[in-house]
Amino acid sequence: MPLVDPVTMASPAKSTSPKDATPGVLSPARLLPVQIKASPAAQAARHALPALLAAVYVFRFPALVTDPVPAMASTLPVVAALQVAYAILCLPAAGSPPAASARKTRPGEKKKAAGGAGDAPRGITSALLSLLLTTLIIPLLYFAFVCFGAPAYTFVSHTTLCAAHLAVLALFPLFYVHGVDGAAWAAVGSFHAPCDETFGGCVGAFVGAWLGAVPIPLDWDRDWQRWPVTILCGLYGGYLAGRVLGGTVLWGKRAA
Amino acid sequence: MPPPKPNKGKAIAAQFAAAKRAKEAKDGPKTDPEKEIREAGERVSLQERQRAALEATRKKSYGDRWAWTVGFWTWMLCIHVLGLAYFTSGFLLTRLVLDDKSTCDSPPTLSLGGKDILPAWEGKGTTNGGCWHPRTFERAVVVVIDALRYDFTVPVGDGAPYHDAFPFMYETAAQSPANAFLRPFIADPPTATLQRLKGLTTGTLPTFVDLGSSFSGTAIEEDNLLMQLRDAGRRIVHLGDDTWESLFPGYFEGNLSRAYDSFNVWDLHTVDDGVAEHLFPLMSKTSEWDVLIGHCLGVDHAGHRYGPDHAEMAKKLRQMDAFVRDLAATIDDKTLLVVMGDHGMDGKGDHGGESDDEVEAALWMYSPKPIFGRTNPEYVTPPATAKSRPVNQIDLVPTLALLLGIPIPFNNLGRPIEEAFAGSSGKAWNKLAAAERTTAAGIKRYQESYFSARGINHTATPGSPEELWGEAESLFAKATASRKPDWAEVFSAFSAYQEESLKRCKGLWARFDLKMMGQGIAIMAAGVLALLVYITKADDEDANAIDDPELDLAEKRLQMHGIMSSDDDATHLEKKLVSRALFGALVLFGAGFVQSYVSGAGDWYRGASSAALASTAMVLVTLWDSSETLLKLVPRTVWSWMAVVFTLSQSIGFASNSYTIWEDSILLFFLTTFGFATALSSLKLPSLGDRALGIYHSILFVLLGRMASFSKLCREEQMPYCTSTYYASATSSTSATWQLILPFLVFLVLPTIVKGYLVPSRSYEGIAPVWIGYVFRAGLFFSAAYWVLDAADSNGWIPSLPETFLKNVSVYAAQMILGLSLIAGTTAFVWAPPNVSVVTTASKTLPGRAQVAIIGYGNAHGARYLFLPLNLFSACFLLSKPMGGAALALCLWQILSLVELLDLLALTASPIGPVVLAALGTFHFFKTGHQAVLSTIQWDAAFIPLFTVRYPWSPVVVALNTFAGQIVAAAALPLLVLWKTSPKRKGTLDAVSRALGVFIAYFAVEALATMLWAGHLRRHLMLYRIFNPRFMTAAAVLLVVDLVGILVALTGVRANTVAIGDVFGWAE
Repeated sequence: MPLVDPVTMASPAKSTSPKDATPGVLSPARLLPVQIKASPAAQAARHALPALLAAVYVFRFPALVTDPVPAMASTLPVVAALQVAYAILCLPAAGSPPAASARKTRPGEKKKAAGGAGDAPRGITSALLSLLLTTLIIPLLYFAFVCFGAPAYTFVSHTTLCAAHLAVLALFPLFYVHGVDGAAWAAVGSFHAPCDETFGGCVGAFVGAWLGAVPIPLDWDRDWQRWPVTILCGLYGGYLAGRVLGGTVLWGKRAA
Repeated sequence: MPPPKPNKGKAIAAQFAAAKRAKEAKDGPKTDPEKEIREAGERVSLQERQRAALEATRKKSYGDRWAWTVGFWTWMLCIHVLGLAYFTSGFLLTRLVLDDKSTCDSPPTLSLGGKDILPAWEGKGTTNGGCWHPRTFERAVVVVIDALRYDFTVPVGDGAPYHDAFPFMYETAAQSPANAFLRPFIADPPTATLQRLKGLTTGTLPTFVDLGSSFSGTAIEEDNLLMQLRDAGRRIVHLGDDTWESLFPGYFEGNLSRAYDSFNVWDLHTVDDGVAEHLFPLMSKTSEWDVLIGHCLGVDHAGHRYGPDHAEMAKKLRQMDAFVRDLAATIDDKTLLVVMGDHGMDGKGDHGGESDDEVEAALWMYSPKPIFGRTNPEYVTPPATAKSRPVNQIDLVPTLALLLGIPIPFNNLGRPIEEAFAGSSGKAWNKLAAAERTTAAGIKRYQESYFSARGINHTATPGSPEELWGEAESLFAKATASRKPDWAEVFSAFSAYQEESLKRCKGLWARFDLKMMGQGIAIMAAGVLALLVYITKADDEDANAIDDPELDLAEKRLQMHGIMSSDDDATHLEKKLVSRALFGALVLFGAGFVQSYVSGAGDWYRGASSAALASTAMVLVTLWDSSETLLKLVPRTVWSWMAVVFTLSQSIGFASNSYTIWEDSILLFFLTTFGFATALSSLKLPSLGDRALGIYHSILFVLLGRMASFSKLCREEQMPYCTSTYYASATSSTSATWQLILPFLVFLVLPTIVKGYLVPSRSYEGIAPVWIGYVFRAGLFFSAAYWVLDAADSNGWIPSLPETFLKNVSVYAAQMILGLSLIAGTTAFVWAPPNVSVVTTASKTLPGRAQVAIIGYGNAHGARYLFLPLNLFSACFLLSKPMGGAALALCLWQILSLVELLDLLALTASPIGPVVLAALGTFHFFKTGHQAVLSTIQWDAAFIPLFTVRYPWSPVVVALNTFAGQIVAAAALPLLVLWKTSPKRKGTLDAVSRALGVFIAYFAVEALATMLWAGHLRRHLMLYRIFNPRFMTAAAVLLVVDLVGILVALTGVRANTVAIGDVFGWAE
């Protein structure tokens, strides 16, 4: 792997040891954890954006409880914008040389990648394509919600918007970094992917949304038990927790 | 056990032969060809005989091991039965309902002899003049203000919104004591309206299970006030809460009565306004009714919705105050007005338990005619709190009966209320004594009948009711003989008797026996622990039973030479377990028996509890081989964790009424979670084909589950968030016409689907095409036709037919289907050859030589076993209604996908398989039109194959209908292990027993959890509506799956292994 910066080889290299790379199996183990770009803007955004996301959610929560549909609809573009900004600023777009933009470049090498101007148009194109893919995946997520017991014919806008939030949070960053690379997605789906902000966020979001269903049946007659407030709550909490943990303590770790 | 002799002989012969062969080989090829051929023939026949002998030993050993395994499961069943029986006997308060009725002309004092206290009155012994006591009122207006707590009606002056808002009753009682009195009115728990109304009309203490002649209906069948009134020809009008209508169907004047929905707690006014609207016009038409019952729900609903401490409650109480004030103004001299609460409410405004606030209601009686008195002038002011001078709610029954001149209901335990009989002077002791003695004699008569019906013997010990009765009667005899009789003394003697008998009845019916409950829980918990340890223990043994042909060959060779004994009986786990369990049980059962004999307690059955615990302890000790035993219970894989989470989270959830109510949705959630997990896990599979197959079956599993979830029968508590689809409408219990198409769809599609699961492993061979393609399909067709006939019969679609024609045809059709699926099906299953066919083709590698291939070898076990669940499915399919049948078909399809998934993902040994199967069975319990409440039992299923109730068939049929989901799942359980296994697979019995262990552990944990919660929440408001029915469901399901596990799964596996082993040789 000549493109990998030897400095960063140290930690992820462990996971790419021969033990994991079973021959014959599609090589999901070779998937490397996503590095956040090293540029100051990227590093700042990496910390600021989750906080901003949390702030948006907390700020919109009362409105969400009162009337979920308009609140979710009006929050969605904001969240999408935050995610796009996150992707362009912090994440390597699919197809870009892995980790090329990570950390500082070698002495002597020209600074061309680190959030430079040449990278931006490509990032924007990737982001737009990823947004398109994210939109396309929403019906599938809607369907998944219904499979878990969400009402099939009623509350359509509630469920759709919830699915949209899930897609934008959990899947958009993954589309941005992996594109439509089947092997990478198989690795993500089968938990063979190494932990990073995108994968951690995705797992966190899904687990959070799953746990968000727990309080729904309770007969407390609270407004926040409205569909899909609790799901959204778990989704945001799980996503943020997963993203932060995935980018820090769990970074590079692999399940099993 | 030493190997049988012939085998030994043969082994020697074999050694001899081998030695001879070796010698011949050394001698070189100078032997004559004839001899060689002869010897070869001998060798073959010798090997043949050796093989046969080995087969026989293996078969016998298998039979032994199977018997011991069944023994182990029978022991487990006994433990479950005992645990449930102990808990239930302490928990389910039962009371026998006696059918006896009081009659006007035979007062209970008649048989006692002696003179009557009161001089004969006009019309004595008739309902017009008064049956057992002079009639005081011609009419009565009884107003029940639901949840009217006593402190709402007396001045308190603390400024709380619920105080001092209802002063009218207190004022009248204090100001004109001869016209009214107000007293605390203590309810007997459970303080739910239904049980309270039973108590208020029968005078007895209702329990959860009143063992009467009919179990399903709610109508009161024992003697009660309304029955006596009706029999006396009085016309009863009812307005308000519709609970009355379900308790007393057909009692009320249809054109005047108005019933209102009682559970719409959000609506504070409809019922009260309705009662007022219809009540006042009736007050001027007194000729049209004799007894008027009004039941207002506003106060109760305000409590449930807002709690007492709310302005709405004050408003409501003021409205009630005005209502009673207006009503009292319309009452004439011949009418008695009674206003009462049926129970109180707790601080949150709820009720059902037995806290002081919940049981303290108020009772007020009023008449413009001055007839009420106080035996003590201090009693004129109504008690300031409910703690002083309370009356029991059941006391209303004899009071009303005597005042209205009707007999006191037979089962009454209450006593007449003093004020109503003391006369306006408060000195009418003779009247009081007469009323008290009549009532007490009634109580005595009832108790004698009850104890003789229950076989209980009571002797007069000091302080016992019998003793008190004797004293009272002697005082009475003294008083009648005396010139200046002391009736006050007689009165208190009889009331002492009443008090003591009531105490005894409360002890019998209203107390949970915590000791028994604790024993039940202990037995159950020990059983669950033993089961869990057994599962992990068998796990280790399973590891030896690898499917390795070479190892098997080597083992066979060793066994043939008699070196290795083929039967490891001595070390067989189940044998050890069963024998030690029996030993432990016998010893302690005997000890318990002796102990009770010596102590003379007569409760010899208590030995059973210690026996159960001892035998469980013995089993645990046997299984306990190292300190790691408990550590092994900790899950080690994601899948085991999932199994634990699914089981435990549900069991913990049963502590909450919400999670119990929404169990069906929660199960769907878990099943879908499993489906998504297998889909993701399939991505790991190396082969692209397997990956696609894994994802396909996962999605199918999820989709089918979601599809099945459209079949719903909502329980009351799920309203308004649930719409029933199981029947034509929410208020009917017949299928809609379009639903009749569903069984035909199943008939067309299901056999093809089953075939689709057999074809890939090339197992659609042998009798499978005939059985699945024709017999199974025919069964489904006739079931579908049955439901059309049934609908035609009940809807009268073909009026030209003779009346019973369709019923006859459909019943015989049903009997035929059941015979086909259960009797013919079982026979076919036992005798069927494996689903394989032998094909001879020309060998490609060696031209001119034939090659023999066995098609379907790889799934020989599973494909053949599948017949058994299919047969059982056919029976359940017929007995479930059309919608339930369709759901059940989806269940079967899901099971097939599940076994495919487990095989693809190599999860056949993981606990997740049985747990998901158990969850699937439970899920389809709900999808076949059931809920964990008694009212959803489809009793009419008993009449599908029968004309009348016949034992034991009717209960079996109802069980097959009710637990169809769990039964099909339990019958299909061995498929988890057997699917896609070849005849060479070893240790199938152990693997099945272990899978059964996990499967039953799921239900046992649920039963234990519901037991614990029901016991813990025994004073909970929702005990009788939610926790207790869920416990009863779990208990019944556990016993059903235990039985099906033994009788179908294990027995089926044996028959299957025998059939396979006879053809392919014994692998076990």
